[in-house]
Amino acid sequence: MTATPAATPCHRCHDPDGSGGGLDPRGRSRRRLLVGAGAAGLALGTGLGRARVSFAAQPGGGTLVVLFLRGGMDGLSALVPVGDPHLAAARPDIAVPASAALPLDRTWGLHPALSSLHQLWRDGRCAAVPAVSTPDISRSHFQAQDCLERGGSATGATSGWLNRALESAGPGTPLQALTVGKSTVRSLVGERPTTSLRALDALSLRIGDEARRGRAVEALRALHEGVDHPLAADARTAVDAMGAAQLAAAVAPEPGADYPDDDLGTQLRDVARLVKADVGLRVACIDVGGWDTHVGQGTVDGGTMADRLGMLDRALDAFVADLGPAGDAVTVVVMTEFGRRVEQNASRGTDHGHGATVLLVGGGLAGGRVHGTWHGLAPEVLDDGDVPGWNDYRDVLAEVVTMRLGVPAGSLGDVFPGHRPQPLGVTA
Amino acid sequence: MTDHSARTDWSPGRHAAPRRRGDGGSPPTRRWPRRAVVAGLAGAGTAAVAGAAIRLRPTGEVAGAPTARRAERPVDGAGFADRDESFARSSGTRMSAVSVEPTLEHPTPSAAAAATEVTAPTLLDPADPVLHLLRRTTYGPTPELAAEVRALGIDAWLEAQLDPLSLPDPAGDLVAGAFPLAWADPATVRRSIERTTWEAMSQCSVATMARQMWSSRQLYEVMVELWADHLHVPTPGGVSWDTAPDYQATVIRAHALGRFADMLVASARHPAMLRWLNGAESRKEAVNENYGRELLELHTVGVASGYTEEDVRDSARILTGRTVVGDDGPGEPGTFRYDPAMHWVGPVRVLGFEHDNATPEGGLEVGDAYLRHLAGHEATARRIARKVAVRFVSDDPPASLVDRLAATYLDNDTAITPVLWTLFRSSEFWAAVGQKVRRPRENIAAAVRALGIVPERDVSATLRRLSDATHRSGHQAMRWPAPDGYPDVHAAWRSVGVTVELWNVHRALVGGWDEGLTTPDPLRLVEGEPAGTVGELVDALCRRLCFQTFRPDHRDALVAVLGGDPDAPAPTSRTADLLEVTALVLDSPYFALR
Repeated sequence: MTATPAATPCHRCHDPDGSGGGLDPRGRSRRRLLVGAGAAGLALGTGLGRARVSFAAQPGGGTLVVLFLRGGMDGLSALVPVGDPHLAAARPDIAVPASAALPLDRTWGLHPALSSLHQLWRDGRCAAVPAVSTPDISRSHFQAQDCLERGGSATGATSGWLNRALESAGPGTPLQALTVGKSTVRSLVGERPTTSLRALDALSLRIGDEARRGRAVEALRALHEGVDHPLAADARTAVDAMGAAQLAAAVAPEPGADYPDDDLGTQLRDVARLVKADVGLRVACIDVGGWDTHVGQGTVDGGTMADRLGMLDRALDAFVADLGPAGDAVTVVVMTEFGRRVEQNASRGTDHGHGATVLLVGGGLAGGRVHGTWHGLAPEVLDDGDVPGWNDYRDVLAEVVTMRLGVPAGSLGDVFPGHRPQPLGVTA
Repeated sequence: MTDHSARTDWSPGRHAAPRRRGDGGSPPTRRWPRRAVVAGLAGAGTAAVAGAAIRLRPTGEVAGAPTARRAERPVDGAGFADRDESFARSSGTRMSAVSVEPTLEHPTPSAAAAATEVTAPTLLDPADPVLHLLRRTTYGPTPELAAEVRALGIDAWLEAQLDPLSLPDPAGDLVAGAFPLAWADPATVRRSIERTTWEAMSQCSVATMARQMWSSRQLYEVMVELWADHLHVPTPGGVSWDTAPDYQATVIRAHALGRFADMLVASARHPAMLRWLNGAESRKEAVNENYGRELLELHTVGVASGYTEEDVRDSARILTGRTVVGDDGPGEPGTFRYDPAMHWVGPVRVLGFEHDNATPEGGLEVGDAYLRHLAGHEATARRIARKVAVRFVSDDPPASLVDRLAATYLDNDTAITPVLWTLFRSSEFWAAVGQKVRRPRENIAAAVRALGIVPERDVSATLRRLSDATHRSGHQAMRWPAPDGYPDVHAAWRSVGVTVELWNVHRALVGGWDEGLTTPDPLRLVEGEPAGTVGELVDALCRRLCFQTFRPDHRDALVAVLGGDPDAPAPTSRTADLLEVTALVLDSPYFALR
């Protein structure tokens, strides 16, 4: 295992505020009023924060799941340009050979550890975009992650892009936006309250006596009323979200969903519970560490990269199986701060590069295809030895939030300031 | 999420009666003539500002700086100095800006406290500067500590805290003594536990938490934590199973109140750091840029200094040759070794540092000179000044203060204690009441201290369970898995889940759910106070645990749990409702702020 930077940040996430359900997510004229009424409305109701009408049934509805692979995932090992002779030349020890890759088309193949994604690909429920970046993304993990999570542009935005997307998408429930982790991911930080949880069962007050617990919850709510501070807002969200979280925690996985017993498996199982409980979950963020493969990246037969991709593949396979038909309204974006250098280094690893690979899984996709621009790996094509950023992260993400969150076209400029998104066609 | 992929076994290891290190966890002797510098600085730079209360500007500007080409500058143009500044600016609201009276700098801390008016809105009662001082310089005020500061005076108390060896620390030694490997040298660790297991690192983390909770050297522990986050090596975590305890002892604890330049040089000669950031395997034929980059970005000048990718490459080249003795020697495995054969030779140039770097043998000295150059760089001064201000003042601290702290740092050859004196003599510090939020472990530690809880048996097992509670809250001591250390601004810690987690920890502590810890009795805590009625009891508990009474509507919320009538007789025994009210006082925003 390499001991590198961002081999895993882990703090940062939290999740949403909410309002009553049954709203047209595009009903912009009602939004302000409803957001304002949100907390109060919940306090009056059951406290479950449960949407009356399934969001998934609405246009622009459903749930967006963002997996952020921290450390810089080596896209050339996941989505392999099998037909490119420069790959084997640049990576004599670690390239995925064409003979071992799972074939996609004449240009591309998948790492053999991604066998479940390969099946989803053939079912039209998986797609990919290579060479993704923005002009401002650097080779520093921290700078690149920060830039990307604020919206990919060096100037302007200080809040997270997903928080702004939620603002544009209209009101929601207390469990509208969730980081499955101990603190809020940077992309969800902003004006819209969000929730973060390490696990669903963590959102319950451990007081055995029900009447006493009820009094305690009321006292907790009152103790944070009239306090203009983010910590009080989070406490109120906690009180509002407890009921919905308990409801979701009672949902059992489908028998066929074989979640691996690791962090990501556990986290995705909780996301699936929330989706199936229909408590208004619109965005879920999960950080996945361990991708900074400077040393001993391994081969198709084993090693860090094969292990990490296999872990990802098994968890996503279980998630899709667990969701079943509900998965039509769920889209997973697998992203990372940057790709890695084309040439392997002397430690049989790869150093920080530029253009990254994005994987998309779930419903609503123009699946079974590699999207975007690609010009191969010839030395004259590369940017200082790296895959260039032929495709803009913001184009991919804008298309997905338009489909999943119903962000109106006119609001995309708020989500990605200074950029006019050009759809690549990743959504159906 | 925490990266468990890199995690090795939590093996109990072979407890082979490891040798205790003589000075385990103790601060080093003072290296800097405190009085002289205090005198020397007093008055200097006390430029009185004319006019009434000034609005202080936060540091830096979020401006549309021109976008630099990636290959030239590894900084994105938003211009955040670091992650914490990025988080702190995320909401668009400047809750941390403070206003103060005209004079910003004062001859002594007590004079600064007396001269500063607290105008920033907060729930906390700003009347008593002693409580503000204790919320910022300790892991939580207690009535005994407040009495101690009042008896000694603020200035004398700070003098003693900044001379930690002058303070006996029986309680801290007692709890830390349950963890013999906490600060052990590599040879002892390697003799005592199974290879690559986490026992020694875990002991180090738990013992550090214990000292934070019970040591008399509170300000020293606060500074140890600040530096452990700044020159961060995950403990437990990463690859430093045998060397991380020694790193904490000989790099962080040894220099926490010394000179930053010395700490930096020590870190760059330590196997724990060299392994963690791949320095140990970086050699002339295959220079690994990881350490060279993080040294610039995280440990010293920061991205805002404008270094280039070429600077990063030279930075990494300078550091080649610094490696770690392997299992087969030559020498003592797990110790630092400079290998000239690995060193990259040739001219180097980084941010004003230039050297011919002509010989393999001279590489270590070139590196030390480079490290001292970086430690004394103006950009490093600003980053460290800002870090100190973020820790002690506010999430987005005033530029006026950061400027003065940076100047003090440079004027004193990177010595840390003078920087703290400048801090405590500032109005910015004393004006910032309630502008910080306790991070999860700080919240738990403050609750333990406020409730007067101590481990009463099975100290090692008991404290490990308490440490696990801090882990569930995402804040186990020194466990942050990335090289940038735990964040220190509230925006980066916002979490609904952790909020509930802390509420549950409060209930466990108040209820005495953990067998190894003493069980507090709320009625004993308020003994001697008027507590005959429900209202009086609620007020007494708030004063005892939060050092002030609550706003009427918040008081009503607590009274409601005890039946709703403030004039009704208070409980006279440890009832479940009484415990619930006690926990709620700790759940309140009054307790969450520091």
